[in-house]
Amino acid sequence: MLNIENLKAKIEDKEILKGLNLNINPGEVHAIMGPNGSGKSTLSNILSGKKGYEINGNVSFEGENLLDLETEERAHKGIFLAFQYPLEIPGVNTNTFLKTSINAIKKARGEKELDALEFLKLIKQKSAELKFDEKILSRQLNVGFSGGEKKKNEILQMSILNPKLSILDETDSGLDIDALRIVSEGVNSLRSKENSFLIITHYQRLLDYIKPDFVHVLKNGQIIKSGDYELAKELEKIGYEDFN
Amino acid sequence: MQEQIKLNFEKFLNESSFSNSQKEFKEENFNKFFTKGFPNKRIEDWKFSDLNQIISSNFKDFDFSNKETDSNFEEILVNNFEHNKIIFINGKLDKTDFSYENEEQIFVEKKDLLDDKSDNNVLLNLNTAFLINYTKLVVKKNYQFKKPLIIYNYLTDSLDQSCLNMRLDIDLEENASLNIINISNDNTKNNFINFRQQINIGNNSILKSYSLDAKQSSNFKYSFNDINLAKNSHLEYFVLSKGSKFNKQDINCSLNDEYGSAVINGIIDLDDQKHHEIKTIINHNEENCKSYQLIKSVLNDNSKGIYQGKIYVNSKAQKTDGYQLSRALLLNDNVEFNAKPELEIYADDVKCSHGSTSGNIDENSIFYLMSRGLSYDQSKKLLTNGFLNEVVEKITNEDVKNLVKEFTGIQE
Repeated sequence: MLNIENLKAKIEDKEILKGLNLNINPGEVHAIMGPNGSGKSTLSNILSGKKGYEINGNVSFEGENLLDLETEERAHKGIFLAFQYPLEIPGVNTNTFLKTSINAIKKARGEKELDALEFLKLIKQKSAELKFDEKILSRQLNVGFSGGEKKKNEILQMSILNPKLSILDETDSGLDIDALRIVSEGVNSLRSKENSFLIITHYQRLLDYIKPDFVHVLKNGQIIKSGDYELAKELEKIGYEDFN
Repeated sequence: MQEQIKLNFEKFLNESSFSNSQKEFKEENFNKFFTKGFPNKRIEDWKFSDLNQIISSNFKDFDFSNKETDSNFEEILVNNFEHNKIIFINGKLDKTDFSYENEEQIFVEKKDLLDDKSDNNVLLNLNTAFLINYTKLVVKKNYQFKKPLIIYNYLTDSLDQSCLNMRLDIDLEENASLNIINISNDNTKNNFINFRQQINIGNNSILKSYSLDAKQSSNFKYSFNDINLAKNSHLEYFVLSKGSKFNKQDINCSLNDEYGSAVINGIIDLDDQKHHEIKTIINHNEENCKSYQLIKSVLNDNSKGIYQGKIYVNSKAQKTDGYQLSRALLLNDNVEFNAKPELEIYADDVKCSHGSTSGNIDENSIFYLMSRGLSYDQSKKLLTNGFLNEVVEKITNEDVKNLVKEFTGIQE
């Protein structure tokens, strides 16, 4: 599904990714762990099409060259990034935003757009599943949301859009145990033979809830080791510095 | 230009039926205008909008003649909600409709002009000189309007290169309330419209006044609004400054007795080569009054926006709250925004603040929205709408709020 070959990325002459290789097949859950500054967020930004990087290498998604696609086209193809720091958008009602988003994607895919009633039904069902207070959805997007609410809102968006590849950029940071459980349940409920996940995190904790199929260690712009869930435990014991 | 206006004025006076004292008063005003001419950028109040230059580069001659007033103004009537109407056609009072109200409590009359002193504002001098009569609306003591009142300013197609001078006075007596909306059709050609509004809000009275310049037009507008608040009265004033080629609104608001409050909010939303200015002066003349101002601007293409806001606090006006904030979103490098916030405070127990920010659209927010499938343009529209919506949401009349959302393209 996602194939990354020898990906290099620079921002203002600073090399951040130095030849990264990664292959994700449908239905797989991959975790990338790494210390601060190892390039984790850069990777997720590049996969979602953020501007400002000088990029070399190949990235294909379902056989298509991903780097040729605009950010919104990637969303239309089924790539979703749960932001580490979801942005506050003043004056924009969360419901309005969600409806605009899902209908933009449906339209691009040539599917029928949701009318107000269908949208409401979907929202009701998804927020109940995620134990998400619906009242929050009538507020301005992320404005005045707590850290946990912002992250839950990301997962709600993910579950409404039902993407093929979900990238979770440090979604666990700043979450209390209850929120972590809810977020994890949200992710687990979306797991299927078709849907894949790339989970970026500092800590093993999240991986106790979302058991990954593969764990990769990202250090200094490269994946230095790959393994299964046991690798995460090992990493937690040794720490990043001494891990080679 | 000046000489030509003078010839027009002399002709206007000769053909009129004014009394001698009226003629004298008009001449006095005209001479004030004639000596100084249209204000240029050397005048502090006009430093960001050189009207003299704007007029001379857009008008050769002014047409002051009377135009026919029969026209199909029905096309501009608002259908969204029930309302009362006052209709002006080419500046003349054409029709009033207060069918939702107790008409004994409302007076509308044409008045001859006899002020006791002439103003120190050349555009008001010009207005007074050419005014045949003005319209006065009085809402009697204890009367609360049931439905809003829309003032339609309809200009016919025959109006071109005209200089139109209009005046409306509104008096709310004690304990009265009125919601008023100013709308114009503006599908006309190049005209200069000089509109004056004198408003008195009596004790315990509430006025909500919404001035909506929404339709695209090549008109040049100046409006002067003088608003006086008595004890325990409240003003909500909202400006949508969007459609005209040039628009300057002077809003002078005086809190003349205790416990008055004034909320003045505005949106400047421009594209093309438009040039709009909102200039406010809030005079806190007595104790325990409050004023709040929020002006948001979105500038696109080659447009220019200006906000000049002054809060004056008299030494008697202790316990004043006066707040003012201007925020501007500049959508490209060719636009210009000027802000001049001023506080002039002579009392020591006051809470006042002002702030002004201007900046570009946040690319990280654009990225966030695009990652959810929205196109760049959709994302930009959502962000600018959201930015402006904060002001729109402060409108307390739901019908007007929806109308403004329609005019600005902010959808729910």
